[in-house]
Amino acid sequence: MILLNLREFRSILGLVGILILAIAFSPAAADGSRIFLQPGNLTDILRQISVIGIIALAMTYVILTAGIDLSVGSILALSTSVTAMILTRASSSSYSQHIIVAILAALAISTAAGALNGAVIALLDIQPFVVTLASMIGIRGLAKWLTGNANIDIGFGRDVAAAFAAIVRQKIVVIGSYLALAVMFWIVLSRTVFGRHVRAIGDNELAGRYTGLPIRSIKIWVYSLSGLLSGFAGVLYAAENHQGNPNAGVAYELDAIAAVVIGGTRLAGGKGSIPGTIVGALTIGVLTNMLRLNNVDSNVEMMIKAVIIVLAVAVQRQRIAE
Amino acid sequence: MTLFRYTAFVTLLVGAGCSGSKPASEKQFFVAFSQCNNAEPYRAAQNALMTKVFGDTGGVKLVIADGQQDNSKQVAQVETFIRQKPDLLIVAPNERAALTAIMGQAMEAKIHVICLERDILQPSYTTYIHSDNVAIGRMAGQFIVDALTKKYGKPKGNVVQMRGLLGVEGEISRNSGARELFDKNPEIKIVAEPVADWIQAKAKDRMTEVLRAQPSIDVVYGHNDPMAIGAYLAAKELGRDKDMIFVGVDGLGGPAGGIKKVMDGVLAATFVYPLCVDKAVEIALNMLRDPAFKPDKEYSLPSTMVTASNAAQMYRQFTVPGQQ
Amino acid sequence: MDLLHAENINKHYGGVSALRGAHFTLRAGEVHALMGENGAGKSTLAKIIAGSVQADTGTILVDGKPAAISSPLDAQRFGIGIIYQELDLFPHLSVGENIVIGNLRFREGRFVRFQKVESFCRPFLEQVGLDCPTSQTSGTLSIGQMQLLAIARALSMNARVILMDEPTSSLFDDSVERLFRLIADLKRRGVSIVYVSHKMNEIFRICDRVTVLRDGETIGTRVIAETGAGELIRMMVGRELKTSAARPEIQPSGEIILCVVNLSTNKLHDVSFELHRGEVLGIAGLVGSGRSELGAALFGVDPRVGGAIHLKRKLVAPRSPREAIELGVGLLPEDRKLQGLMMQMSVIENSTLAVLNRLQSLGFIRSSRETAEVKPLFDDLALKCSSYGASAGSLSGGNQQKVLLAKCLLANPDVLFLDDPTRGIDVGAKEDIYRIIAKLAAGGKAVIFVSSELPELLRCCDRILVLKEGRVTATYDSAAATQEKIMAAAS
Repeated sequence: MILLNLREFRSILGLVGILILAIAFSPAAADGSRIFLQPGNLTDILRQISVIGIIALAMTYVILTAGIDLSVGSILALSTSVTAMILTRASSSSYSQHIIVAILAALAISTAAGALNGAVIALLDIQPFVVTLASMIGIRGLAKWLTGNANIDIGFGRDVAAAFAAIVRQKIVVIGSYLALAVMFWIVLSRTVFGRHVRAIGDNELAGRYTGLPIRSIKIWVYSLSGLLSGFAGVLYAAENHQGNPNAGVAYELDAIAAVVIGGTRLAGGKGSIPGTIVGALTIGVLTNMLRLNNVDSNVEMMIKAVIIVLAVAVQRQRIAE
Repeated sequence: MTLFRYTAFVTLLVGAGCSGSKPASEKQFFVAFSQCNNAEPYRAAQNALMTKVFGDTGGVKLVIADGQQDNSKQVAQVETFIRQKPDLLIVAPNERAALTAIMGQAMEAKIHVICLERDILQPSYTTYIHSDNVAIGRMAGQFIVDALTKKYGKPKGNVVQMRGLLGVEGEISRNSGARELFDKNPEIKIVAEPVADWIQAKAKDRMTEVLRAQPSIDVVYGHNDPMAIGAYLAAKELGRDKDMIFVGVDGLGGPAGGIKKVMDGVLAATFVYPLCVDKAVEIALNMLRDPAFKPDKEYSLPSTMVTASNAAQMYRQFTVPGQQ
Repeated sequence: MDLLHAENINKHYGGVSALRGAHFTLRAGEVHALMGENGAGKSTLAKIIAGSVQADTGTILVDGKPAAISSPLDAQRFGIGIIYQELDLFPHLSVGENIVIGNLRFREGRFVRFQKVESFCRPFLEQVGLDCPTSQTSGTLSIGQMQLLAIARALSMNARVILMDEPTSSLFDDSVERLFRLIADLKRRGVSIVYVSHKMNEIFRICDRVTVLRDGETIGTRVIAETGAGELIRMMVGRELKTSAARPEIQPSGEIILCVVNLSTNKLHDVSFELHRGEVLGIAGLVGSGRSELGAALFGVDPRVGGAIHLKRKLVAPRSPREAIELGVGLLPEDRKLQGLMMQMSVIENSTLAVLNRLQSLGFIRSSRETAEVKPLFDDLALKCSSYGASAGSLSGGNQQKVLLAKCLLANPDVLFLDDPTRGIDVGAKEDIYRIIAKLAAGGKAVIFVSSELPELLRCCDRILVLKEGRVTATYDSAAATQEKIMAAAS
């Protein structure tokens, strides 16, 4: 059931390797224990990868259909803005109602943005790169316009917005939602008809057409899911950062794609898995944490990460070619 | 590449990166500085000065992390610093709301926190060292009123405000301080207020648009020097730079800083925005060396106006040797 | 001295041995056949000689001297060219560009002059009988025409050795004749041909010698004049293979299940025919005559411009493959790599892809139901694979075709359109497919069988329809038909 194919196995090896290095290079705390292994630090890592990790779950589906979604960062920004805007508006409803309305509205508008992407891609038959590039720009413009190009701060007082932030930013909520979503997406991809259709049209769309698969509806669903999860990530971001920020999420799509690719999913579509993506996200997270604990200069950190991303993919590709 | 060669290469790479930093020796203090964005010249100057002063003093291991203007990244960096239990944490927050909670966490972990130059939503810090941006705004406003009075005989004219990131206290205050002066003189009109996020190139683009829309401009008030300089470049390209004066804020030393631009005649005036680093280091060393030392909750540093009359002298005073 | 000598060639992929100590000798001016079942290693050996694959160990001698061939460019310098079964052309580039790119014989300046391209390419295009402008995008050619283009390209590189991997798999009789004349011509000029093929009659017609591979080893080399088909088959499979008898005389049940009246599409004009339950109808015709287009029209891929299709006495107009499948029409596409299989998905995933709806509950696929559904079918088709979870791309051509066939059959169609189902598959698998077709017909299904091999059509079909330039030119009962009559109606 847990079929570890060759690619996933390699990516797990990569993660284990980085973990060993992180432990080996970990500075020591005052009591002699390794800082890296402290439970607080380990849960920090999980928290830090959650936002990108959630986006990467849906990005896996998109890439499996041989598509790409460049607009996820902008949708996240839109979602944080809508969440904060609604929460900071006066209302007579109870706190829980108000919070639920804000979250649902953010998710709804994010899913709609994704569905629009999917519709244009599927019905007008334009390349996903081009469509999501355009919506990346347009949706960020929308977010900036809605907020007047300003941030909407969520204070620390006793209002509903502060209550929302206090609840949602807790580590357990953030990490818990990531895990829950990961499990759901894993099961859907590996065991349902929809999941199989997703892989099929990425593997060979023409053959999928000859098989009678509902290609257009699958694509619309996949991009809608991407929008939905970007919106969810945006809600978490708003709570963590105490603000609605129309400039948030820049270049997040690249981080998400990196996680997917390191996890063994082919950019050309058809081959990949959710566990792989999670391993990819963890690999980046552990690597970053290790470099930070060792106070590696931020710019050197970026260069090392770049090299490791390319190496991780190169090793996997070499082996498959044999 | 075989798996073995890959592993060996990665280990070497990571080892090289990680060995660059040596752990603090027994007598050294570990000071962690979370800077919001190394790419801004003002902040690069802060970093350079802090490194120099701590270096001259000795006994301190200083680590600077670059948040690259990304809230989540800076929060994660501070989070990791907390794990390392530094003797002192200095934070220049990227945006107010985003960094408040994590700085509170640092305080809860019994780490002293200096909040540098920008504030946050709650006083979750040991001390806040800043300059009074409202006062700077007022000084700038007054200078503009005086300059317009000199030009027209009475305080009237068209002003363009070039604004930075709107969510930052510095921006809000430099705007409100100047407006106090403008409101008192109703014939001074603000004809455009484009936003250029503190960046020179963006300011040049915005100014070009404004120049096409506005036939008559007397003063450009850039809320930082790079933006004022960008506006100047735009005006120069269209041949209108002689029609107006340019005022900035920051007043950094060195060949690329605002003081030099006043000396060169590009800016009519600038206002030294203290790096706050001297004071921060002074307070930091006090806190590190004397555990009983209790700093004030807030330190406000004054600014100085720089015009052609005192530019040369200011330049000598504020230029750190080897500064960009 | 031998022109080419390959000695002790070993090659393995992962844990599987493709070639074990294989050897091969080629003389100047001979046509030498390379035979073997699928997986015997003939394609691998050909690719090693042509430089696109590197052997693990072994030596190659050209004119008696060791030749290091580590890339196709090296092979070109030694005068070795290859025409692949799965053609390696650039579909978005023009005919002329395909020929001159990477061609050491074409002197390029800084700028490409189209006149120069045209004058360089035209003689070779004429030699192979490809009449099209050098500016035409090669992707718009039919598969048969693309194959001619590949041959023209090899000729333009002035090869002394040309390896041809199943060259006639998409050519019809007259193009095949032209190719044979070409081969004879080349032979006279001292060029040697390595002819990798399954087609016994062709090999006996044009080849001088034949080398048989089995399981990666060279079994032996024979002179054609001194051997027979039986011996070669025995060498290939290691046992005698009894070919089943020709199609028994079963009267089709008479009930008309498909009636096509004046069907017109982009490429078809006024096509009419009837198909009965239990009948196998063959479709013959030259490359480009509209055979695959007929399948596309019935399957809802090409839009109908005129005429009508009646299925089970009802007027139908499928506008997509999904609608066609629901109506009870199945299609085995011509190109299994491009149109048929998901190469990265497993055998079982590929075969159930069209019918997942009845294997699921609440959206979840029931794997036990899935396995139960496919097992009898796979057994019946004699599918050989390491496991149902093996990827489709890892299977041999014949087994891939069986997976595709299983996929069609699971949807339970009444009418099955098989487009060149035995292209590029080995003897044993072909026999299996013939057997299955007969069984389907006996079970009441109606089969339309498109093929370029006339003997195959004569053997398996009840009637044969001949197409020419999109029109039906003749219909024959297979008992009364001959290859000459069909050929005449097709040209």
